[in-house]
Amino acid sequence: MTMGRFLISDWSWGGAALPLSAAALAWYLAAFGPRRRLGYLAAALVVIFIALASPLNALADGYLFSAHMLQHLLLLLIAPALLLFSLPRSLSLALRPRCFGGPAVGWIAGVGAMWLWHVPALCDAAAASRPIHGLQTVSLLGLGVLFWRQILAPREAERLPPPGAVLYLFAACVACSVLGIILTFSPVTVCSAYALPPVDRLGLLPALRAGWGLTPERDQQVGGLLMWVPMCLVYLGAITAQIARWFAEPACPAPGETP
Amino acid sequence: MNELAATLARARAVTPLQREHWAMSWLATVDHKRIGILYLLTSLVFFVVGGVEAMLIRVQLAVPDSHFLGPDTYNMVFTMHGTTMIFLVAMPALFGLANYVVPLQIGASDMAFPRLNAFSFWLVPCGGLLLHFSFLAGGAPAIGWFAYAPLNEMPYSSSPGVDYWALALLVLGIGSVGTSINLIATVLTQRTAAMTLRRLPLFAWMILVNSFLVILALPVLNAALVMLLIDRRLDAHFFLPPGGSPILWQHIFWAFGHPEVYIVAIPAFGILSEVIPVFARKPIFGYEFVAGSTVAIAFLSVLVWAHHMFTVGLGHTVELFFVASTMLIAIPTGVKVLAWCATMVGGRIRLDTPMLFCIAALVQFLLAGLTGVSLASAALDWQTKNSYYLVAHFHFVFVGLIVFAILGALHYWFPKMSGRMLSERLGKWTFWLMAIGFNLTFVIQHFLGLAGMPRRVYTYADLPGWGWMNLVSTVGAFVMAAAALVFVWNLLASLRDGEPAGDNPWQAWTLEWATPSPPPVENFRALPPIRSRRPLWDIAHPDRPDPVVGTKGAPDIVAPEKNATGVAAFIVSESAFFAVLVLAYLYYQATPQPGPSAHDLNLPKTGGFSLCLFASSFTLWRAEAGERRGRRRAMAGWLALTILLGGVFLVGQGMEYGTLLHGGVRVGSNLFATTFFTLTGFHGLHVCAGLVALLVVLGLALAGDFARRPSPALRAVGLYWHFVDAVWLVVFATVYLLPHLR
Repeated sequence: MTMGRFLISDWSWGGAALPLSAAALAWYLAAFGPRRRLGYLAAALVVIFIALASPLNALADGYLFSAHMLQHLLLLLIAPALLLFSLPRSLSLALRPRCFGGPAVGWIAGVGAMWLWHVPALCDAAAASRPIHGLQTVSLLGLGVLFWRQILAPREAERLPPPGAVLYLFAACVACSVLGIILTFSPVTVCSAYALPPVDRLGLLPALRAGWGLTPERDQQVGGLLMWVPMCLVYLGAITAQIARWFAEPACPAPGETP
Repeated sequence: MNELAATLARARAVTPLQREHWAMSWLATVDHKRIGILYLLTSLVFFVVGGVEAMLIRVQLAVPDSHFLGPDTYNMVFTMHGTTMIFLVAMPALFGLANYVVPLQIGASDMAFPRLNAFSFWLVPCGGLLLHFSFLAGGAPAIGWFAYAPLNEMPYSSSPGVDYWALALLVLGIGSVGTSINLIATVLTQRTAAMTLRRLPLFAWMILVNSFLVILALPVLNAALVMLLIDRRLDAHFFLPPGGSPILWQHIFWAFGHPEVYIVAIPAFGILSEVIPVFARKPIFGYEFVAGSTVAIAFLSVLVWAHHMFTVGLGHTVELFFVASTMLIAIPTGVKVLAWCATMVGGRIRLDTPMLFCIAALVQFLLAGLTGVSLASAALDWQTKNSYYLVAHFHFVFVGLIVFAILGALHYWFPKMSGRMLSERLGKWTFWLMAIGFNLTFVIQHFLGLAGMPRRVYTYADLPGWGWMNLVSTVGAFVMAAAALVFVWNLLASLRDGEPAGDNPWQAWTLEWATPSPPPVENFRALPPIRSRRPLWDIAHPDRPDPVVGTKGAPDIVAPEKNATGVAAFIVSESAFFAVLVLAYLYYQATPQPGPSAHDLNLPKTGGFSLCLFASSFTLWRAEAGERRGRRRAMAGWLALTILLGGVFLVGQGMEYGTLLHGGVRVGSNLFATTFFTLTGFHGLHVCAGLVALLVVLGLALAGDFARRPSPALRAVGLYWHFVDAVWLVVFATVYLLPHLR
């Protein structure tokens, strides 16, 4: 199959993602009614749909480690952030007991999701088994929400103060960069499922290997670099937003001062 | 000596009482102002040394086929020039300024840890002596400041010069981390109550951001140096074939080296952000953007080191990503340049010497940035990287921006430090000689590079154009040397009989100008009210004060406890150090080595001893709970148990080492043994340090020290101990468990 035809034709219905998306949309409308923030929800669902139903998913399914990494980034970083944006400002996301809501938990959720699913054994398991792959998708979304909740919780009071948020994001970037560095420069294949595709179901391999020049080694390099550089740029964007939020807070005097 | 004392006394730098034993009072000082001045003096001394080395280099290169120095001497002088200028001139000068100015700007009476401050400073002369002692011990290092492998290894550089170089940089690196931890703790915990983080003067803000960069980047270099020393002294081969990777040295070195550029540039940005508004008589344009872009620069700088390695052959894919991300740095720096320019637009600019230096720094930095963007493009980089084009580029950064900014800062803050004005006439001479000399030296080197002259060579053939261009460059260098002489003369003459400065000679607006010049030991007798970013403007113009910069309800950050803050910053730096060692371990374990391997380790036994270490975190937590509840006996008991468990773990490690050594495994046996001993050895060292600290706390507790007043010591030491345990968790997982997962 040629690459062009593949990109046009190989859209699926996304399996369980489509009914679940519809359910989420219905629940949102029932709970909050139609409002402008619905756009964010729609965007989140589009991102999830792109990750799970577009040719990207077909490529991530046994062909390209880098496509799999892009899927990860969309599910862990982009979709959860958009989901949190879509919630009305008055909604509380406080977790009980309170120790689950701390920044350490959120940070470990976000960074841990990346590290855990790239342990060679788990990465292969997710590539080989449907249920584990589903679990991976759901866990990425869930852990992503836990991570971003510290920064983007609908209620201002439940967010980290901006200086703390900057350190939180910076540390997350460094931790993910380290994994990205390992993936980029490691001579071993992290996910052996991508090194030797068992069957070329779609007849894409010649186009990928020869046309795009993506040998398994280079494929893993691109995957590592995606995590190292663009992922950190997402964090950098968030850091910039935090600083803007910090300096934009209205002027009112510190305690013990007469204005 | 006595004459100098008398001069200083006349300059009111020492009180009559101190004059009696003034030398001792400087050697033993823990006052941040004196330590700041000592830093600056040290930096000046090494500036002269590094400058003489630069002159030697330029004389050698003045004409083609010159044999003035000879290849070996040239390489030594060239290495020492780079190392000296970066580690012994730029960094101490910026730390000195930060030390002197930051506590004053935030209304503090001293740094958070004055004795750590003195310790960090004294490491600089020690490091400098170590480095220069190599001249007497068989020859200075001749490896370039970047010390690429395998040239830095025993078979290729067998003189001990490289060992002195590595030790000196280790000492200096530890000092830099110490100072930066101190600066972080100072800005976060020692601010006067009304000086919220959003009211910080930009210099203090940038020093804060920069200090985070230092504690992340310098430990990376320290790890590389440690690995190099293990290679050289214990016959390992981290960076030497077979198995070892010279490229890894480049990765680690530039993972430090690229942030290092910004570590010296960000304080210079801070200086520009202080001086330009004062002499343009306008508040800084876009404070928020200047402050915020600093964070973005710091962030990007830790990300993009691989652009130093385009010519290594990393592959097209890797290069593409780094071309894009490197070019991004132009955005936040461009924001800064625009903000400085906009500050000057419409201002009533006073062209005093500090402002002249800062304007020149701005212009020259713009050119450095433009050539920098051109080097970020991999295709162009291949053509120009190993030519004088690159030499010109980074000298525009290091001299054009940083040295000019430092000179501007010295002219700006000298009146505060000494109570005397520098001579404006000599200052203008310094500036014009410096500006002309600098541009004469380095503008032409861009063209020399484009004409194909390679860098790092001791001489060159008489090719068309090369001779006269090099000669012009050498003449320029001598003009710069003249500028330096005029500057030193200005310092001495003005210290003796400069005009008295008064509190605020420049009509500046930040707090350091609200106290006498030089400030009293306690810095401030009384602080003015602070409601905006320019407290002294508000006092001078009560009818039109700056808008109040406020905080919602509580101040930005409730000032954290300083010991815990200091230890937390220390933990960050230690994490960076261990991260490099762990990554090196993973890198080398990826390909199986002949000889001992992870399967020779005794997993169950070490697992048992590891449980002891993890349990000690629990017992320590109980001890902390005991202290909070005032149960001193329970606390002492849990603490003793913690120490015991830590000791048991060390015994277990000793047994593991014993078995391995008995089986003939040495540090140099193969890369598994090297990385294993390095990683676990450094962890063991940290366990020992933690045990000593815990023993001190236990001693204090038994002596009843905690009964009299609540002590932050246990919490601070406890944080460190938990960190040591967490590191072991990572080490245990990578070294012992990971091989069984594959």
